[in-house]
Amino acid sequence: MQVNEDIVRPDRRSVNFGFFSQLLSRMGVFFLMAILMVAGVLISDKFLTLSNFSNIISAVALLGIVALGVSFVTYSGHFADMSVPVIMAYSGIISVATLKYGMVVSIACGIGVGLLIGLVNAFVIGKLKANPIIWTLAFSFIVSGYVRWAYSGRQIYPDVEAKGNPAVDVFVNLIRMDVVKGVPLVVFVLVVLAILCQFLLKKTKFGQQLKLVGSSIEVARMTGVNVSLTVGAAFMMSAFTSAIAGIFLASLSKVGAYYNGAGYDFSAVTAIVIGGMTLAGGRGSIIGVLGGVFTLGLLNNLMTLFQVGEFSIDTFSQNMIRGIIFILVVGLHARSLRKMGRDDA
Amino acid sequence: MSAGGIGLALRMKGVSKRFPGTLAVDSVDFEVYSGEVHALIGENGAGKSTLMKMMAGSFDDYSGDVEINGKVVKLHSPSAAKENGIEMIYQELSLALPLTIAENVLVGILPTKGPLIDEKAMIRMTADRLARVGLGHLNPNMKVKDISQHEAQLVEIAKALGNRPCILVMDEPTSALSREEVERLFGIIERLKREGLAIVYISHHLPEIFRVADRITVMRDGKKVGTYDRDEVNTEKLIELMVGRTVKEFYGDRQTKLGAEKFRVENLSRYGFFRNVSFHVKSGEILGICGLAGSGRSELAQSIAGVDPADDGAIYVEGKKVRCRSMSQALKHGIAYLTENRKTQGLALRISMGENALSAMIPRHTKFGIYSRRQGNSVMEAGIQELQIYPPDPSRMVNNLSGGNQQKVLMAKWLATKPKVFLIDEPTRGVDIGAKMIIHQAIQRLADAGNAIILISSDLPELTGLSNRLMVMRRGTFIGEMPPGEFNEESALLAANGEGMWVHAGQ
Repeated sequence: MQVNEDIVRPDRRSVNFGFFSQLLSRMGVFFLMAILMVAGVLISDKFLTLSNFSNIISAVALLGIVALGVSFVTYSGHFADMSVPVIMAYSGIISVATLKYGMVVSIACGIGVGLLIGLVNAFVIGKLKANPIIWTLAFSFIVSGYVRWAYSGRQIYPDVEAKGNPAVDVFVNLIRMDVVKGVPLVVFVLVVLAILCQFLLKKTKFGQQLKLVGSSIEVARMTGVNVSLTVGAAFMMSAFTSAIAGIFLASLSKVGAYYNGAGYDFSAVTAIVIGGMTLAGGRGSIIGVLGGVFTLGLLNNLMTLFQVGEFSIDTFSQNMIRGIIFILVVGLHARSLRKMGRDDA
Repeated sequence: MSAGGIGLALRMKGVSKRFPGTLAVDSVDFEVYSGEVHALIGENGAGKSTLMKMMAGSFDDYSGDVEINGKVVKLHSPSAAKENGIEMIYQELSLALPLTIAENVLVGILPTKGPLIDEKAMIRMTADRLARVGLGHLNPNMKVKDISQHEAQLVEIAKALGNRPCILVMDEPTSALSREEVERLFGIIERLKREGLAIVYISHHLPEIFRVADRITVMRDGKKVGTYDRDEVNTEKLIELMVGRTVKEFYGDRQTKLGAEKFRVENLSRYGFFRNVSFHVKSGEILGICGLAGSGRSELAQSIAGVDPADDGAIYVEGKKVRCRSMSQALKHGIAYLTENRKTQGLALRISMGENALSAMIPRHTKFGIYSRRQGNSVMEAGIQELQIYPPDPSRMVNNLSGGNQQKVLMAKWLATKPKVFLIDEPTRGVDIGAKMIIHQAIQRLADAGNAIILISSDLPELTGLSNRLMVMRRGTFIGEMPPGEFNEESALLAANGEGMWVHAGQ
């Protein structure tokens, strides 16, 4: 049968949003950054120096590496990976423990053990659909307990584990090493990983399908996306960058210990959310996440530099200020989304 | 004026509501009397949903005056609307499934005895309310998830009535009901009307409107076209008023050239849902599956598309046996499945129209792991053009499109995969007449190009108008087949209910 065309009438409805509100929602973190910059210039004349900025970047490079991986989890709509600290700790320990076999083996084993933990997360959350927060938290208790038991709660030291091996020197200087003068290895790794993540997210089948999964798992399933595999890969990414950061952290502290990496899970999520990647999934960008990481670094730097006469900001107040800024950013973001009729952040 | 003597329950004078970019309701006058059913109709986008939301107190920034029982009120919040005696029944139910009927019906007004809930009073009050909507037989302690869809719909009404409203607004209350259930609902509406309730009835379904409404207000492009007594107008006239032109014929004759067998299913079973289903579709043919909701038709489609596993049976595409363990495999064999619920299964609302429309094409546009966005551009453009999607801007968020355009994007998403076998589940639910036609044309074009189409629809004119042949499905089995030219809306409905000449004996 045939449909007659003469009563067809185009539906010409749509809603327009201001350019500015869209920009603010997408790139809001850079406004915050600009405000902090201006504040920095006012607070201290040491702020606007090259060495200060390179300090800021070095200080947050590790966090940046972690946040890059975790952002895949957030982007997939699975909030966060709470096993980040234990992956960092265990990767660090293993890399120290295997240092006696040389640098390459040490790094490979460190990353390998992180990926192993990631694989378990990937299977349980991707395939068995466990709640991501509960599972990664519970699983990290198990792994953390095991690590403490296996090492009787001791820390291990590279110079003891691999006595006399030249790799020790390389290992403890890993994080202090410059690729070229003025560019530390850790910053270089951060940049390379950021480019890799940006590529994965925007240019590959995985990234495209991850966006669909993050926006709606049910729709992704009904579109022929292998949801288990995609979600699993996101947790693998998180484990991968956490393992790298864990090795750097062991190098920085010159010790492999179960408590290394504590707090990186929440800091990473803070940076990710400040960077405009919403916890609802499917929205945000790598550049935003980097912005979020840098903003956190900027904030820490400002609070350290801030000094009026005898008055300075102590560590506890710094924590409170961080908390307040986090709430403000998330609140403002949610508000602007609601105004745009997308109440889902 | 049928019920004019009783008194004006609701009067909206020159109300307007502006959204960014559009004037959704443009100085509309709308009046409802106590004891009348006033139908509100119009295409999607005509502004009736916005007007309804205004009554529900969803907006605090409308202009114009609203009077209830002669008193000027401001409906600036949902609670203000409730306080003024307006209750809403939405298309999507607002009941909490894991709670009991009593807890749902009495939400916010649970009777207490001291600090505790008075269980006896709770049961008694709920039973009273249920009796008003003809559900006296239901146990108030049953969980809502254990009752049927139409009972839930009535429970929703019972809940609304519990607040003693003077105005009841119903938005497409029958969309999920079978015909008998609709009749029961109308009986209840009739009784409520006699009790003096003013009822606003919003629906796309014109025969229903004539059955239930006393007066009809037609909206178009945010403006009111007019208000008519039921006897003043007929279906053709209403459609003309809604679309602003004359309707000749919605469905004409389609010249079909059927080819060889394109798709065959043999003894497909998924135990608990359907069993031993066999059928074939020829190239160029649209096969309709005629069955009630719950007959297993959607589950059948999902098993063919690889979303759910089939327990037994075989599927052949162009004579070749295929196995689809996942939907991506089905897609590779040229089978596509348009899901019934566009908002939860079909479209990811928070990403752009382009990303949605190309989402099923991601594997095909990927080479060595690298996704090529450029390859999608031409596909997207063709989709926008063929389905006249408005606005034709692929970067637009799907959430910000109208229902009809969303459905077109969903159609475009699957058409892009160039399916040889296309399973279509409710392609036009809740969309306006214009979008419906465009979608129907797209379906026909796909069939004319030599593909096989399997259509599932609760919309009888659509099902009988588009299909070449109907398979009758009931309780998980095929119980009959209706050959071309041998069916109409009535006989199809009869067959879906397991009666009539086309149903095999012995079923």
